[in-house]
Amino acid sequence: MPTPVSVARQCLTEEAARALDDAVAVARRRNHAQTNSLHAISALLSLPSSPLREACTRARSSAYSPRLQFKALELSVGVSLDRLPCSKNLDEPPVSNSLMAAIKRSQANQKRSPDSFHLHQIHSSQQTTASAVKVELKHFLLSILDDPIVSRVFGEAGFRSYDIKLAIVHPPAPQASRLFKSSCPPPVFLCNLMDSEQGRWGSGFPFAGSEDGDDNCRRIGEVLARKSGRNPLIIGVCSKGAVERFLDGVNSGKQGILPAGLVRLSSIPIESEISEFVSGEGGKGMAEAKMAQKFNEVGDALDRCSGSGVIVYFGQLTALIHDDSSSPPPPLQQEQEAAAGYVVSELTELLKAHRQKLWLIGTADDYETFLKFVSRFPAAEKDWGLHLLPITYRSSASMQGFSPTKTSLMGSFVPFGGFFPTPSDFANPVSSPCSASRCDLCNKKCAEEVAALMRAGSSTSVYDQYSTNFPCSLQIAEADANKRMNVLMTKDDRTTLNAKILELQKKWNNVCHRLHKPQSVQQPGNQQARSQVVASDSFRLVADERERSSSGSFLPENRCLQLGASTANDLHMISLMEQDGGSQLASQVEHPYMQKACNTQHSGIQSPWSSQKLSTDYRLPADLASPPSTPSVTTDLGLGMINMSSGGTLENRRLQGNMGCPQQLLGSNSSSELGARLKTSLEVAQQSSLSRYNHLEMQPNPHDFKTLLTALQKKVGWQDEALCIIGEVVSRYRSGSFRGSRFGRDLWLIFLGPDRVGKRRIASALAEIIFNDRKRLIYADLRSQEGISPTYSTFELQEFQACEMKLRGRTIIDFIADELRQKPHSVVYLENIDRADVLVQNSLSQAIRTGKLKDTYGREISTSNTIFVATSTVTVDKEVFASDMKPGNYSEERVLRASRWQMQISVECATESASARRSGGLAVVVTSEKAASAIKRKRRDISDSCEQDRAMGIWKQGDKMQKSFLDLNLPVEDVEEDLEDGDSEAGPDAEESEVWLRDFLEQVDEKVVFKPYNFNEAAERVLEEMKLNMQSAVGPEVLMEIDDEVIVQIVAAGWLCGEEEAIKEWIRGVLRGGCVEACRRYKLAAHSILKLTACEGVVAEKQAPGVCLPASIKVK
Amino acid sequence: MGNNILDALHVQVVGSGQRFLVFAHGFGTDQSAWQRILPFFVPHYRVVLYDLVCAGSVNPDHFDYRRYTTLDAYVDDLLTILDELGIERCAYVGHSVSAMIGILAAIRRPELFTKLILIGASPRFLNDRDYHGGFEQEEIEKVFSAMEANYEAWVKGYAPLAVGADVPAAVREFSRTLFNMRPDISLFVCRTVFNSDLRGVLGLVRVPCCVIQTAKDVSVPASVAAYLKSHLGGMTTVEMLNTEGHLPHLSAPSPLARVLQRALSR
Repeated sequence: MPTPVSVARQCLTEEAARALDDAVAVARRRNHAQTNSLHAISALLSLPSSPLREACTRARSSAYSPRLQFKALELSVGVSLDRLPCSKNLDEPPVSNSLMAAIKRSQANQKRSPDSFHLHQIHSSQQTTASAVKVELKHFLLSILDDPIVSRVFGEAGFRSYDIKLAIVHPPAPQASRLFKSSCPPPVFLCNLMDSEQGRWGSGFPFAGSEDGDDNCRRIGEVLARKSGRNPLIIGVCSKGAVERFLDGVNSGKQGILPAGLVRLSSIPIESEISEFVSGEGGKGMAEAKMAQKFNEVGDALDRCSGSGVIVYFGQLTALIHDDSSSPPPPLQQEQEAAAGYVVSELTELLKAHRQKLWLIGTADDYETFLKFVSRFPAAEKDWGLHLLPITYRSSASMQGFSPTKTSLMGSFVPFGGFFPTPSDFANPVSSPCSASRCDLCNKKCAEEVAALMRAGSSTSVYDQYSTNFPCSLQIAEADANKRMNVLMTKDDRTTLNAKILELQKKWNNVCHRLHKPQSVQQPGNQQARSQVVASDSFRLVADERERSSSGSFLPENRCLQLGASTANDLHMISLMEQDGGSQLASQVEHPYMQKACNTQHSGIQSPWSSQKLSTDYRLPADLASPPSTPSVTTDLGLGMINMSSGGTLENRRLQGNMGCPQQLLGSNSSSELGARLKTSLEVAQQSSLSRYNHLEMQPNPHDFKTLLTALQKKVGWQDEALCIIGEVVSRYRSGSFRGSRFGRDLWLIFLGPDRVGKRRIASALAEIIFNDRKRLIYADLRSQEGISPTYSTFELQEFQACEMKLRGRTIIDFIADELRQKPHSVVYLENIDRADVLVQNSLSQAIRTGKLKDTYGREISTSNTIFVATSTVTVDKEVFASDMKPGNYSEERVLRASRWQMQISVECATESASARRSGGLAVVVTSEKAASAIKRKRRDISDSCEQDRAMGIWKQGDKMQKSFLDLNLPVEDVEEDLEDGDSEAGPDAEESEVWLRDFLEQVDEKVVFKPYNFNEAAERVLEEMKLNMQSAVGPEVLMEIDDEVIVQIVAAGWLCGEEEAIKEWIRGVLRGGCVEACRRYKLAAHSILKLTACEGVVAEKQAPGVCLPASIKVK
Repeated sequence: MGNNILDALHVQVVGSGQRFLVFAHGFGTDQSAWQRILPFFVPHYRVVLYDLVCAGSVNPDHFDYRRYTTLDAYVDDLLTILDELGIERCAYVGHSVSAMIGILAAIRRPELFTKLILIGASPRFLNDRDYHGGFEQEEIEKVFSAMEANYEAWVKGYAPLAVGADVPAAVREFSRTLFNMRPDISLFVCRTVFNSDLRGVLGLVRVPCCVIQTAKDVSVPASVAAYLKSHLGGMTTVEMLNTEGHLPHLSAPSPLARVLQRALSR
């Protein structure tokens, strides 16, 4: 026979009764017929700082993380509550026999217990109706913990109720011993233990004992206790408020502000008198009299003083120094100065007379004010014994009203917040449960409910309206070992289930649409999924069940409507969803047990799948409350899963392995993330099989040196020597007779010297020849890490797109490792190896030694069957390089800067000089005015930008920056020079990297030195070709002037495409066509000049096939 | 003994150099934020790493609401750690709130620091009459209520904003550490930070400082760097980092490392 709540309440103290009320509220919410111990536990745990929670913290096993264990506890309590039968809605579910028995037990205990006897006496003396012993919360708790159901629940979460009881019986004596082993001295950062005892057991609310800014007061107090320099001058924008708070605290005799040595201090503010007196407001005589009176008052107070002394607050220092802004007339100013001087000297006198008993306290907004004061009164700082105390904390009004509504936070934080009620009548007056959080809670409950419905085995619903129809007797924990049973049950209840889900969903959608952003609807699923980390083995069954529920609740959120619509297939869809959710979990939580659980799920589900064709369209209805991007992604996800399961379990498992990186999924919209990752990992799987195939194909078909060389020469015709070396090395490598090592190792090459494009072309050719795909090339420019993006030309091979975009915050080495993971068997092309930073250096050195590349996360990836090509423009023996390099008109740097501008032809009348030139017999002339200034212009641009920066007052080391910019834009010699400068700048690091480079060079398989590309010859050939064509196109009379930039552009194009013939083709076709067009349009006379110029800033719209040159030339 | 604080705040000393270098992380991260920066300095410095008491990785029980009401308590922690380790001179790299902590520590114990490097530092986040801190009081209140209402949603929204640059890995990492913080602690620390105002005390700093400011930082406008430069008492330089976001050590580790190296060598 249950006991009415009111009767039970009479046996309890106020605190315990409150706990009981909370428990009753839990029972009511869950529609349980009786309130039992579990409800009480649930209610107590839901409080952020209840004695129970606190005791659990102390009693918990150190093997698990505390939060994990608390989550587990909450989970197991929630599950146990789910199992309880529910009934019709009762206003106050009466107290169950077992709980009442617990109360009786605790009464008896309390009577016996000697230490509480004393308390009992107090209670009975306070309360007139001391008919029975009122049970304290502590004893109430102790006997609840005796309840076998409760101890089982705690046991499931890895707690021993015995330990908890012990922890409750023995409250922590000093606070420190709770946090640290009691043998240790208390930690320094917990030194502020004033009033630590208060509020520990009581409300225990984090903010209960504290008021903000207390720390400020404490610090001021500490200054007062000093031997010398004990008069604080508070510096800071918020100093005034801090001092006033402090003085208020002192006057009201508040505890904890003043150090132990100081008692009964009083304070006298003389702030307003000073400011009136000094500024001369309100009549000079009056103010003077007041001032004098005040000083007398202070003197009297000091004489009469019985306590430690008197604090005199003289206000802000600004009052004592001349204020520039008001600029009073000179006589007044003098008066003010005199007045300030008077105040200062008076205070000094007072201090001298009462050194032990008088404290001065003042404030200054900033340090500058103090400096001004010191310059006015140089002696004051020492005479007054001022101690500067920076105060930086502003106590604001908003802060005071701040109530740390932890309950609302719990709602969003504790993943299973929905299982716990918000305490309806929360004891702490400062807490104000906000409506938003309540709804959040409801929202989660919706998810819970859907989950519960999906499970269809769980009997109880959190919400009353929907619960009545469900069978109460099912014990999910026992049943859930068999997955299929659940599915069968789902089938039975299917029709009702669908209706229910729809109904629920609609209702909650409405609620949430009204109060929330759409995203938050998705959230509960995510949250739950994340939190499924369960540590304890003993906890397995429960966890398993919960997992399932959350995986159920995650997707139905999105798909519920559809569920209702589809009829025959929906059972399978449910299982699909569960699998989705399950594998997501597996990917999130690297927990062997869960992986296992998921695998078994897979195997369980696969049989129905194979028997039935799945052709459902998974597109989501548009009106669902999910962000627009989600539907398509989820579709992918679903299909991906289907593909995989047809592929077999092995694939599945591998995929899970690929996805198993918990933090990468955290915090992102996990469904879309998962979809994307699924896709990539599928790709990976495909690629690796592909490469295995390549690999096999390669073996029985060894190319000989000659075919390789011919293939390379086709790409780069001008580097014969280098090609020979490369061809030889690579063919040796491919034949496996390489330095006696096994086949399938990596190959390391370093390309030294100039000819950037040539090196790149060769790398790309290697990828094509060896790996049968030009795209099997991983390109990284090590210089891009320096934060300066080299703005080279738009003339780039497709594979060599600027890698900064791809890097996106990853370090180079991570980027390479990631790429290598996606496409093993590639050419890794590392440009500017001399600029490698320490990380890259270390990783590369390791890789070259061990065959494993280690990224910054410590993950290793094998580099076998990978060709590393590093490049550097610097060579070890600089002389050779420099003498070979004869920079003429067209240096490599300049050609690299060429852009793909549109070209145009304009027609002008010949000037005299031009005709003079013509008389020399030239048909084609290069105009170089602009070109000559090209480098200069660049320089100017740079210095301009630097000046700008300096004007902003930002660059302190403009010159240095300028240098590092310059080395990108100057001819090679200058680069060398600057490099050396850079060396001296960077000091030991640069030296180290030089050492490293030398070391690295020793280790690579082959060093290949490149010759410079002869741009001048190329330019000459271009001009020759033009001359030939001009004569035939427009006749010998017409003079043609070609802008130097155009020549550069053509030369660059020739360099890039590697074939002279293509350029000639272009000249014969496009350029000649343009000239003919110009002739036709303008009827060229003998003295006409055709000018071929680049339209700077206008990028060619269409390209001629095969070359990076415009497909047509404009005629103006 | 006395190693409690070292254990509690996960203090680590790594590296093989002579000089000490302290890396202090900012709000919403923990010492793992320096992971990508660390390898650059380990060969040359003895690097001290620690977690602020508010970090998600620290046992929340250590966070005493009565104590950590102002930044001074954090300063106490820092100074205690340095004393426990017996460090007499060190360079200090502080991000965000740790930059503030570093400033205050250097005021209290100038002899301890050879140099302060302040990343994403601001003496005051709120706007004032003639000061642009980047935030208005109302905005902050909105942020606070958003944090209170749904912490996870707030984290999801704030992390990409703070990281700024389009670096998913950094966003993920920051979200992780930010979400690791217990929401109530996070909110409390936020309030502490936003209620702090270091403007008046900057002049007391005597240690040479280097302010590292990214091109675009949601939390710290560029003018703040200029303000710091003109008001900090010691020799101060400003380095602009050509990247976006409040967390360059996550989003652009290598460029930041280079700037740090440069700043430290000067």
